Amino acid sequence: MAMASLAFAPPKHDKLRALGIMALNGMFDEMDGVAVLRQAVADLLPGDIAIVSSFGADSSVLLHMVAEVDRALPVYFLETGKHFAETLAYVETLKAHLGLSNIRWLRPDPKDIARFDPRGDLWETDPDSCCHIRKTEPLDAELTGYGGWITGRKRYQTSERGVLPHFELTSDDRIKVNPLAYFSDTDVNAYKVAHGLPEHPLFAKGYKSIGCAPCTTIVAEGEDPRAGRWRGLNKKECGIHFDFNGAIAKPVATVEKNLFRDGAFIADPFRAWSEGDDLASVRYTHIPLKLFLENRDAVLGNPHPNGLLVSPGDRIEDAAADLGRFASIAVSFPGFNDGRGYSTARLIAERYRYQGELRAVGDVLMDQVPLMRRCGITAFVVTHAATRKALESGHLTTVNLFYQPVGVTEVPVGTRPFLRRAAEAETV
Amino acid sequence: MYRYDEFDAAFVRERTAQFSDQVNRRLAGEINEDQFRPLRLMNGLYLQLHAYMLRIAVPYGTLASRQLRMLAHIARKYDRGYGHFTTRQNIQFNWPKLRDIPEILADLASVEMHAIQTSGNCIRNITTDQFAGAAADEIVDPRPVAEILRQWSSLHPEFSYLPRKFKIAMSGGPHDRAAIRFHDIGLQAKVDDRGIVGWEVWVGGGLGRTPMIAKRINEYVPNEHLLAYLESILRVYNRYGRRDNKYKARIKILVHETGIDKIRDEVAEEFRAIANGVLTLPQAEVDRIGAYFAAPEFERVNATVDVAKERIAEPAYGEWLDRNLHPHRQPGYASVTISLKPIGGAPGDATAEQMEAVADLAERYSFDELRVTHEQNLVLPHVRVSDLREVYDALVEARLATGNAGLITDMITCPGMDFCALATARSIPIAQEISRKFSAPERQKEIGDLKIKISGCINACGHHHVGHIGILGLEKKGVENYQITIGGNATEDASVGDTLGHGFAAEEVPDAIERLIDTYIARRETPDEPFIAAFKRLGEAPFKEALYGNG
Ligand code: SF4
Ligand code: SF4
Repeated sequence: MAMASLAFAPPKHDKLRALGIMALNGMFDEMDGVAVLRQAVADLLPGDIAIVSSFGADSSVLLHMVAEVDRALPVYFLETGKHFAETLAYVETLKAHLGLSNIRWLRPDPKDIARFDPRGDLWETDPDSCCHIRKTEPLDAELTGYGGWITGRKRYQTSERGVLPHFELTSDDRIKVNPLAYFSDTDVNAYKVAHGLPEHPLFAKGYKSIGCAPCTTIVAEGEDPRAGRWRGLNKKECGIHFDFNGAIAKPVATVEKNLFRDGAFIADPFRAWSEGDDLASVRYTHIPLKLFLENRDAVLGNPHPNGLLVSPGDRIEDAAADLGRFASIAVSFPGFNDGRGYSTARLIAERYRYQGELRAVGDVLMDQVPLMRRCGITAFVVTHAATRKALESGHLTTVNLFYQPVGVTEVPVGTRPFLRRAAEAETV
Repeated sequence: MYRYDEFDAAFVRERTAQFSDQVNRRLAGEINEDQFRPLRLMNGLYLQLHAYMLRIAVPYGTLASRQLRMLAHIARKYDRGYGHFTTRQNIQFNWPKLRDIPEILADLASVEMHAIQTSGNCIRNITTDQFAGAAADEIVDPRPVAEILRQWSSLHPEFSYLPRKFKIAMSGGPHDRAAIRFHDIGLQAKVDDRGIVGWEVWVGGGLGRTPMIAKRINEYVPNEHLLAYLESILRVYNRYGRRDNKYKARIKILVHETGIDKIRDEVAEEFRAIANGVLTLPQAEVDRIGAYFAAPEFERVNATVDVAKERIAEPAYGEWLDRNLHPHRQPGYASVTISLKPIGGAPGDATAEQMEAVADLAERYSFDELRVTHEQNLVLPHVRVSDLREVYDALVEARLATGNAGLITDMITCPGMDFCALATARSIPIAQEISRKFSAPERQKEIGDLKIKISGCINACGHHHVGHIGILGLEKKGVENYQITIGGNATEDASVGDTLGHGFAAEEVPDAIERLIDTYIARRETPDEPFIAAFKRLGEAPFKEALYGNG
């Protein structure tokens, strides 16, 4: 118990400073963001404060306030390399419109990219690390130079933020300023209209909270605006919203890594279909084959990467022509002893030559994994603990000699002579 | 016969290691019984009434003497000194301990044997005519192709979790001694108009709760396309066979509910997609495997034996010669059936000593070869006629010389209540009672060819549906009750027996059988008209009257 309490030890603030910050919080009208900002920039931390902006759907409001106070204030933009083209254009639009003279683009270290994300798909498997090298690391270097920071956070945005003040003291005695803390969605929109601010081009298309392209989805009416970010992942925050101390250096969310692929368990970018999802706009979702067939046009019109869920009894033939449109196909094994998925998998891999990720979902156990592999399955969503262990340690007991040829890539070494011969003939 | 090459040996070694690991994980509690069940079943391990039961594969029923000796060794060391030969040409041991299983499997592997796929919802051991490669009436020895099918189906990744078990039987000629019309797939050798041997394919036969005679799905499939064609059937079955009800999960129900014509079309469509691919079987491979099954170096002798004369000298020997020999393709030779149906014994059981005695005989008199029949007997396939007397004398010594092959006391009987957890009634004791009632050799001879088959429950492992007389043990209000069926036939004239009326109490069964027999003898046209022919001619009426009176 004594040990545990250490974790909750209060930060060693300068007491007077802490009291001063608390007092500041009572001084400004809730909605008077500009006054809050002026106080911070001109009085509290002159020359020692900056802002990070995502140039997203709501960014224009805070940047407009910044421009009112000081057009030369450093405005950092994290060019992660993963933004929508519309966002990059929008940076220029706002810069010109508001007359901002000190926008600084932060780019990830090319060495990090080469080392950790050479194919540019790290976001797909491990978004925490992706954010880390593309956002946290580049920003971290800059952060240390300032005594304070302006954020665009708002109380209403996510449930965790219900008690956001105008001024915050971080654990390492820096000051975070949140001029929009009390703004609601309606206030933001009203402000935009009142000041004739240009919209982010994607806003009209239903994007309410815009981050990197791969990690942003359209938000449904009435949904939490940030629900569109990292949809399907247990990830809510990027490190950059956290304190300036060591915490920021660590990936924030711990996504459950249930997907076994290429020899390791990784975070699964995909989510299962759920009731009420919109076929035309879901992303990284395995759409049940039946729904796909019934709504083929809507799904094919959906611009986002999605997957297909094939359940026992489904006729994969009916979707054969469209398989290439899916980034992942999930073959469902509702019970480990339901072997229909093996036939489905072979048809997908061998007959239709599907090249994307073919994964097994459902009752995936270590004793069936070798059979699934031979049938063309390359990824496994695993929850069974012993199976996890076996896969992680690479200790699957199996028979590695095959009498019969299956699969498109199965090396026929060790198969029967006549099969080996046939395989050679095929590769000629 | 087939000999493992390095590949086969390594395969069985790895499989044994894998299953040993699974057993250890089960013993350590890392997997639960639900997860272990399909794994152990696929390795032939059942949980029976008293203990685990291990079923060992005897591929297409062929054994070498060293293999039978190893089975004797296992019976002695890990079991209670005997083993039980089954209607699937396998052998099962009823009392092994789970912790001994890895060792038993290792012992088996040392003589190229295993228990792979003797149970579970996968493709089971392929069965054939017990006289394959020896019978005078066969077109081709089916065992080379059976061996190829064994290899193709071993740990097939797509077909290891079928809706239900899947059994394939093959017959090398038109005289069906392998009951191919009562298997999931039956293959019957056939010659096309160019004289090339291929296979007539039957599908959807089976016994169990819903007996069905297979339907012909293809008149002729040549060797080269056989694997692709079978894979097509299996794929259609795996995808569309019912999984909602295990009693409706066999392919016979799919064929029945869908209709053979539609199934035939679906299989044909699948076949079109995969034909001429990697499963195309080159003749060279058939020949390579066929070489293992080349006929032994028979001597050119023309010995014959005068059964009538021998019978006068020694009736028991004469009887044995009369019943237990099968015509051999090589003059001067015969195939000998060793009956595992001694009067009053448990059908299909053999002691370790008996197995060793038979192994010795095979070595000395039958080119080291043995067969297990689906009627639960053993066969010495290639015995010189001039050696018959010596063989017989040795069998007498081993108490294996019962001359009743194909007679009324040569019954197929499932384990029933004595061993089987599913049983609703005893079956072995019923067989023993009938056997005693008809024990007199003259009486048996008078009756002639007659197949009685007994099952201890509706699952029909004793094939009662295809017995000329079938007996099915049920339970009614806590009492055993036996239904009697008549007219079943497992051969090319396949038919399923009919129930003529209410069932009988256990002690009434032998008398009821006797009344049927008496009716047959009284009504047959000549002493040569077999029971099943007489039944066909006469119809049910006289037999119904025999069982239930004319009330
Ligand atoms: S938001 Fe997505 S793409 Fe952008 S840095 Fe984070 S994980 Fe990578
Ligand atoms: S027929 Fe019934 S009692 Fe007999 S072996 Fe089969 S399941 Fe057991």
